[in-house]
Amino acid sequence: MGKEKFIPILALIIIIIGGTSSAYVYATQIDKDTITINGDEYTIDQIFYLSGKKTIQTIEGEKTGVALDNLILKTGVGCPYCHEYIIKAKDGYQKTVDWEIMKTGVLTDIKKVFFPDTPKAFWVGDIVEIEVK
Amino acid sequence: MKKIYLLAGILLFGSLWGFSEVLIGSTLHDAGLPTGAIMTGIFAISFLVLSRLIYRQPGMQFGIGLVAGGLRLFNPFVGCHLCSAIAIMAEGAIFEIIWYKLSPDFSELKNVIMQTSMGIISAYFLYIGGYIVTQILTPIASGANFYLENLIVFLPNIFSSGLIAAVIGGAILPVTFLAKKIDISVKDRLYYPTTLGISLLCWFIVIGNWFLA
Repeated sequence: MGKEKFIPILALIIIIIGGTSSAYVYATQIDKDTITINGDEYTIDQIFYLSGKKTIQTIEGEKTGVALDNLILKTGVGCPYCHEYIIKAKDGYQKTVDWEIMKTGVLTDIKKVFFPDTPKAFWVGDIVEIEVK
Repeated sequence: MKKIYLLAGILLFGSLWGFSEVLIGSTLHDAGLPTGAIMTGIFAISFLVLSRLIYRQPGMQFGIGLVAGGLRLFNPFVGCHLCSAIAIMAEGAIFEIIWYKLSPDFSELKNVIMQTSMGIISAYFLYIGGYIVTQILTPIASGANFYLENLIVFLPNIFSSGLIAAVIGGAILPVTFLAKKIDISVKDRLYYPTTLGISLLCWFIVIGNWFLA
């Protein structure tokens, strides 16, 4: 196949892949008011009631929220440093962190986690689950 | 002489791209727009294609990506410094791969359909490629581990958001091709003062803001 045919066909395939992926993302997006932590559902108010607040300094200034280390302990996770934690957003974005990172972070009332010493790629927003692995 | 001439071009286009990422990217981000897709579809495609058309020197666009990514590291305003810088550098390298097989006079891209198609292909692969590379390298560069499963579950979202970049790239490339006839002569007395002057201005403004932020 010559370039004159290959290039437009590839462009068309890309449009189809992009369109199909958009439909898939829209259909599979999780929309809920609670956050699943270690298999149990919690509202953001319950989370703030359970765990104490902490303020951390980030490159975007101070962030105040629930201390993630305290939250994990309060939700019944034993041996917290034995696990890894997958923080999942409603659009499918997720990041896995170990206890060393987890214990430095906060979960704010806008359902977003912040860590003081990680790139912003780890600041997952619109959280729907924290899976203990 | 030709090497210095090309290096000046790399510095100019890399600085302009990095400067756009910092200033315009910040504005788009504040407005809640899909910054990455817009920046790739408009600015990455424009600067990379324009430099390829003017200088006709494969390999140059990789250098432009390195300069732009380097400048993006100094962005004090918004976003993930490291992630964006890695993505921009990757985009320069991916562009080289995509355009490697094209003939030196771009005879394949003689009509608007071919130019639009090439714009779609270039912008889409630049965007998703840059996104994937940064998802892999950012955790590693920051001392955290990379988890393949995190990338795999998010791939549909990356493929989806790349569609915006592809559509914009398809519209931008034919416009950029209008500049195909630009001829920059190495003998032009204004070439070096202009390229170096504009580049220095871009770096001065971005680094100045970095200190002020």
